[in-house]
Amino acid sequence: MKKGLIITLPQSDDVTEYLTVFSRPIINECKRKAVKFHELKREDVNKKEFERLLKSYDYNFIILNGHGNKDYVTGHQGEKIIIKGENNSLLNKKITYARSCWAAAGLGNCYSKDKRGCFIGYNIPFMFLMDTTRATNPIKDKIAEIFFKTSNCVPIGIIKGQTAEHANENSKKAMLKGIKKALIKRDKDSQAIAEILWNNYSAQVLLGNKNAIM
Amino acid sequence: MNEKYISQENKLNETLKKLVIARIEASMSPMLKLSIGSDGSLTKEQMINHVRDGDNIGRRIIQTHLNFVKAQATGHLIAALNTVQ
Repeated sequence: MKKGLIITLPQSDDVTEYLTVFSRPIINECKRKAVKFHELKREDVNKKEFERLLKSYDYNFIILNGHGNKDYVTGHQGEKIIIKGENNSLLNKKITYARSCWAAAGLGNCYSKDKRGCFIGYNIPFMFLMDTTRATNPIKDKIAEIFFKTSNCVPIGIIKGQTAEHANENSKKAMLKGIKKALIKRDKDSQAIAEILWNNYSAQVLLGNKNAIM
Repeated sequence: MNEKYISQENKLNETLKKLVIARIEASMSPMLKLSIGSDGSLTKEQMINHVRDGDNIGRRIIQTHLNFVKAQATGHLIAALNTVQ
């Protein structure tokens, strides 16, 4: 297996638009660290292309942005790209980070005994708040940034060479710091920000080899 | 006995809904939307309507609020916050 990363970037609704836009810092970190990467964008985030890429590149780190359920994660326009019991073995021995609802509750369990790879994801919905006044330019959405900056600590940490456990813990610490900051600030949206960050903090789990590195 | 239990549970559910709606009204500005994955992104009004209807999305919103309230009440939140500077 080669050191490198494949990231899915679907853009078929406002949620996937945000997931994709806020994945830019992950790509930037790859460039900074000279880590090889391949972006699977928009219509290309389909099952056929995803399977082809995983087989042909054999990279050891996979980032899935998309909607999800206990048994699958979707790509562009809701197409299921990784399905429990069908093609989930493609992720064996790899590090997978799924920024997707529920995936750790079912699909992720397939990797809980993986001695080389691991799965980091959410066992209830990954949630975020967005500022509707920034909907046309999500990257300037300072509210949404709070949720993506903290979750991005997982992939960015792994690209920097941290173990999966270290990156997961750093991400969760960043969420706690975000909650603390919001509660101290006590402005009109603080309570909502703290609650949603707590949801993601409680939901984010690491399954499999906690010492996995890229 | 069974009817009494169901009636008490309904009462509790209605109280929970009222509590969560009050929290949403107090803690979210109208310009914010909540994204819950494939359920889409919801305005404050839509969130309140789902909670009022008690559908799947509404129940998920209630659960999120309850998790936070429980974490505050049990001291889990403070304990976790004390682990970071």
